[in-house]
Amino acid sequence: MDLIPGIDITAGALAAQKTRLDIVAQNIANAQTTRTPAGGPYQREQVNFETELLNRTDGANSLLQSVKVSSITTDKTPGQTIYDPSHPDAGPDGTVKMPNVNLAYEMVDLITASRAYEANLSFAKDARELAMKTLEIGK
Amino acid sequence: MSPIDSISSALNTLAAPPTQGPTKLPAGLSDGLSAPSAPVDGFSRLLDGLVSSVSGKEAQADAITSQVLLGDSSQLHQSVIAMQEASTSLSLMVAVRNKLVESYQELMRMQA
Repeated sequence: MDLIPGIDITAGALAAQKTRLDIVAQNIANAQTTRTPAGGPYQREQVNFETELLNRTDGANSLLQSVKVSSITTDKTPGQTIYDPSHPDAGPDGTVKMPNVNLAYEMVDLITASRAYEANLSFAKDARELAMKTLEIGK
Repeated sequence: MSPIDSISSALNTLAAPPTQGPTKLPAGLSDGLSAPSAPVDGFSRLLDGLVSSVSGKEAQADAITSQVLLGDSSQLHQSVIAMQEASTSLSLMVAVRNKLVESYQELMRMQA
């Protein structure tokens, strides 16, 4: 039963944007990480979205598409190399490979993701208000 | 003869639109009011269905919320949406019940 219009779609979008926020947090948190289990410095990650057909039973609306995270890809761009011989991860030439995280990009991503989340939240709020207004027909 | 019996015969003539299939609506109304546990056709079955759907939604919202609180899930929005759906279906049930009581009272006023 879908009482509140479009709420399933918004729920998918909220989950997807939340994943994006998580990844932005991960990128910012690892902006100085020079060691990873895979070896080498941390590589920033990106979230990619894809549409998702909703499994609905009511015929007319069965083609509604929500969104989900299709993949989380790693940005392969090489990061900065700095000279710091005292660093434990420094190579024989005294240079350290730093992560390719650019805080300016991450802040832009953070703002976009949180605004997108807010947009979906205001849809959810509006949809709920519509459902409540519909119930007022009977009053 | 109880007042409900007397209006149920009035209902038999009034509230039976031809498209309504098995027209047990008046019986359901009076049975629902005198013996709420008896599952019969009509309003009482409708209310029964609504109540169980509302309680199902509330149980679902409870389950999701406790998952979030216990840290098993981080889908905070799912919990709030589930609670909202439960509250909307409760409002729907209340709206149906209000309509039902309103029409009952309207019929009761006929004899005044």
